[in-house]
Amino acid sequence: METSNHSIETQNLSLWYGDFQALIDVSVNIPAGKITSLIGPSGCGKTTLLRCFNRVNERYGNVTTKGEIKILGKNIYDPDVSLLELRKTVGMVFQRPNPLPISVYDNILFGLRIHSPFGSLTRSQSDEIVEEALTSVFLWDDLKDKLKTRATSLQLEQQQKLCIARLLPLKPQIILMDEPCSALDAKGTLAVEELMSVLAGTYTFLIVTHNMAQARRVSSECIYMFLGELIEHRETQALFETPEHPKTADYVQMRYG
Amino acid sequence: MKRSVLIYQSIALITLAVAFILFWSFSKGTPFVESGLTFDETAADSYSVLQENLYRMVPILLGSIFFSIAIAFYLEEWLAETSWIYGIIAQQITILASIPSLLYGLLGLYFFVLQSEKGSFFTHALTFVLLVMPITIQSTQKAIRGVDISVREAAFALGANRWRVVVDHVFPNAFPTIVAGICTAISRVLAITALIIIVYIWKEHTLQSGDTFNIPSSVIVLLSFALLSSVISSFLEKKTNLT
Repeated sequence: METSNHSIETQNLSLWYGDFQALIDVSVNIPAGKITSLIGPSGCGKTTLLRCFNRVNERYGNVTTKGEIKILGKNIYDPDVSLLELRKTVGMVFQRPNPLPISVYDNILFGLRIHSPFGSLTRSQSDEIVEEALTSVFLWDDLKDKLKTRATSLQLEQQQKLCIARLLPLKPQIILMDEPCSALDAKGTLAVEELMSVLAGTYTFLIVTHNMAQARRVSSECIYMFLGELIEHRETQALFETPEHPKTADYVQMRYG
Repeated sequence: MKRSVLIYQSIALITLAVAFILFWSFSKGTPFVESGLTFDETAADSYSVLQENLYRMVPILLGSIFFSIAIAFYLEEWLAETSWIYGIIAQQITILASIPSLLYGLLGLYFFVLQSEKGSFFTHALTFVLLVMPITIQSTQKAIRGVDISVREAAFALGANRWRVVVDHVFPNAFPTIVAGICTAISRVLAITALIIIVYIWKEHTLQSGDTFNIPSSVIVLLSFALLSSVISSFLEKKTNLT
């Protein structure tokens, strides 16, 4: 099956905020189990495209979408698609770490509690899930004694890792990241990048970044966007070393702007 | 900085006013403080009718606070994103909330005092609701808008539906601010009630017996509660600003 290779496929996707067209005929296939990065100057539609994939854009009203988005082979604009299920499959990590202002423990279980019938999680199951999630983002040793502290009081790096950890109990297929490291220092950035490389394979990552060095370090495929259009989509190495499109060349060789 | 100066100033002013009233009523003799809520044989009957009505206002007050919160959440969480009516309703509420409470007091005065024979429980209730609801709705709306967008985004992105987002996150985070707003509304009501009682007693008492006018204890109690609730509200506001 073709769909097994691609987690996300879009066909001529266009999107308008009111009269302003933010995405113009974007057709892209995102490979499964790899890290794909989206680069481009500010306002080129990277974040908009990312936000299309779990339909968080719709919350802002005044948004018109045309075209097709298939996630795991299923068109997400079909009427029978459940938003809840979609957002369970497609997790999202935001630019600014946004743990919910509740305890670390409850943060990790919040998603799962939404998606499971009331009272179906036993205490020991919950403990296990929390430990597993925190272990896979390398936070367990740091936080095992702080499970009851408010998540917003953690360090930023820990908060961002926690935001990744709370997606894991839902067993998502795809994790979208919107400049996940822009609020972190170099050490935090490195930690999150390492975490991504470990988790890639199990999950498909799509990451928006302004940091080209980061795109080069972590991603295996790279997409360059400019003014709402997809200019080039190739393997990262190739895109940076031998860009095909002059606009891409301008950008990756820092001649842009 | 400026804001806290304002709060302290208003607290000081209220405290001064209450102190003055207390001093005045004690120095002129304290028949009403001692004798509780009634003050005069002649006015006792109509006064106790008023008193009874005031007690019946408590459930009205609680009910209107509850409905105000519900309305504010409906407006902000459901209507704001989906309907153009939102703008019109929000504007009307702002207008109602910005009417000086003195005007509501005059309205209440009309119903309570001048129309006291004809004035029904319904008209009394209406005055209270008109006074309390706009200001409570508006302060709750502000509290809801004050909840950081990242909280909503996080919860929505995890698949929570609107109801879960509101119940689990928006409400708990907005709660202290909501309570502060309610305290402000209640202190407004209490102050107006005190005013109405003073005028009522003045009308009943001095016109009938020609005696000098004294402040009844219930007014002092009301003003003290008004002071207390405004102190609570400013304390809560400060506390939420810190976090």
